[in-house]
Amino acid sequence: MNTLEHLLQGFGVALAPVNLLLGLIGSFIGTVVGMLPGLGPINGVAILMPLAFALKLPPESALILLTAVYIGCEFGGRISSILINVPGDAGAIMTAVDGYPMAVKGQAGVALSISAWSSFIGSFVAFVGIVIAAPWLAQWALAFGPAEYFALMCFAFACITGLMGDAPMKAVLAAVLGLALSTVGLDSNSGVYRFTFDSVHLSDGIQFVAVVIGLFSVSEILLMLEQHLGQVPAIRSLGRNMFNRAEMALTWWGTVRSSVLGFFVGVLPGAGATIASAMAYTMEKRLCDTEGTFGKGDIRGVAAPEAANNSSANGSFVPMLTLGVPGSGTTAVMVGALSLYNITPGPALFTQQPALVWGLIASMAVCNVLLLIMNIPMIGIFTRMLALPNWILVPGILAISAVGVYAIHATTFDLVLMVALGVVGYLLRKAGVPMAPLILGFVLGDMMEQNLRRALSITNGELSILWGSPISVGLWVGVAAMLLVPPLYRRFGPRRPAAVAAD
Amino acid sequence: MVDRILGLLCLALAAAMAWAAHGYAAEISYEPVGPRAFPTLLAAVLALVGLWLAVRPGRAVAGEGAGAHAAWLPLGLTVGAMLAYALLFQWLGFVLATALMTVPVGRSFGGRPLPLLATGLGLGLGLFFLFDKVFDVILPTGLLSFVLGGR
Repeated sequence: MNTLEHLLQGFGVALAPVNLLLGLIGSFIGTVVGMLPGLGPINGVAILMPLAFALKLPPESALILLTAVYIGCEFGGRISSILINVPGDAGAIMTAVDGYPMAVKGQAGVALSISAWSSFIGSFVAFVGIVIAAPWLAQWALAFGPAEYFALMCFAFACITGLMGDAPMKAVLAAVLGLALSTVGLDSNSGVYRFTFDSVHLSDGIQFVAVVIGLFSVSEILLMLEQHLGQVPAIRSLGRNMFNRAEMALTWWGTVRSSVLGFFVGVLPGAGATIASAMAYTMEKRLCDTEGTFGKGDIRGVAAPEAANNSSANGSFVPMLTLGVPGSGTTAVMVGALSLYNITPGPALFTQQPALVWGLIASMAVCNVLLLIMNIPMIGIFTRMLALPNWILVPGILAISAVGVYAIHATTFDLVLMVALGVVGYLLRKAGVPMAPLILGFVLGDMMEQNLRRALSITNGELSILWGSPISVGLWVGVAAMLLVPPLYRRFGPRRPAAVAAD
Repeated sequence: MVDRILGLLCLALAAAMAWAAHGYAAEISYEPVGPRAFPTLLAAVLALVGLWLAVRPGRAVAGEGAGAHAAWLPLGLTVGAMLAYALLFQWLGFVLATALMTVPVGRSFGGRPLPLLATGLGLGLGLFFLFDKVFDVILPTGLLSFVLGGR
């Protein structure tokens, strides 16, 4: 079957009534989660993942729900950026730069609708990119052996640490901690229990859901304690709701450029929506800012980062689906979700489970349309939700998180572990250690060790196999470039604002 | 300063990991790389990172929300309430535990006691019926099992 037939099959899956309903629910929840400052896509996906599993949804439906939440978050983040000047999620930081000034000028409605439109274009460009690139990449990746996989995972870590900004050492630290957490439990090759301290609860390894919810949701709640006093009142008057034809023409090429850029950044493992939107904004400012209006409410400065943000979020599915190596923290959580179903993502998935893979890809397009409808005519519903006070919101998040963790094993141990990891995560985040590499390490740890051991088994311990093929040599060169270029660029290159931690 | 402490903690953790991993050996081994190698490798990288941070700490705290600092009281209250929630979740049951957790946690976020109690009960009952009864995600009923139907 060719790509088009597969895609049609995928739309068959995505448009099945149950999956369409899940896409709708997921898009709505995603927009709300993305909009609320402090809650990003990782939190949304992490909280819904165990619930989807506990609801006994089939794997493709669960994935469609989680994908809808993820894409919805990228749509939702812009709402609070524009209305209260606080990004709803990390990818929407650049949207606030011009979005909030537009809202102050009484053009909040225009800013919201043009950013929804450019988000839609961004997601659509990425969808086309995925349909073209993913099968091809998966075909290519079938030739990967254990040594190539090991090198590829090292490349993913190099990307996520090299692009992390100020503190690459702390990103390495986070990745190693995540890898170390993944070694807890029974070693399946030798039957040895590692780091279990003779506890039954740890013999099967640390519960993935407890780790993700602890590190992201619980620690986020503790971080939110610092901010709740300084809540800015949301801008009430939205002004004209719809952008007009002139505004659309003005932003069109910037939107398309940023979408393409965002897709490529998203495909790169480790680089996320935050970096993509910052790059797109900088690019548009260089290209178009002849009158110095950027930063003072220029509509082009709203459209470009939103397009890049969304296309990069969609693009980060490419490495996850084709290589099994997630491209962002959120897709790392999705790999964990698949592991609950005993599915290992990777190139073989395209041939073994085409309904799952293509259903997921098609659902991106479906959810994108749903989100556009939700985010332009129905925007009022969401803006009203911004008024929900934290003292209702936070206990609600905590209770739903606990339900999710409890749903997997029904033990008190996992709940205590969730809180303990939340406190550890809070302390690490206060010390400047990013969480995304940690979760990537935790998800990839087992695969990385297995591939290393398998590769070395082939040569009976000879290390040379790790750089024995052109693909792995290329990947190691990539690792070196990722680790060396950003610090050198920061030292010798032009000064620019450092990107904040990736999504 | 934060970086130095972090670095020293890393070194300690790396030492503990290496020491624990030292004893991991397969009884019968089929492969050249056993269960000890990967943890030891990680411990080595962790030690290097720790050493780097301890010797060459960054200039300032670049943590999230740097500069800002939550007051100790709400922070302690929230952590304590969350821990109590985790420990009492099964014994009290979801509804009561959630209602009890909501009051101190919501208090730290500026809520008032009575509305919080109402919110807590509403959350507990609402989520219980949503998940346990509608979605069939089984939650503990605890002390209220005689009302909610113990399982």
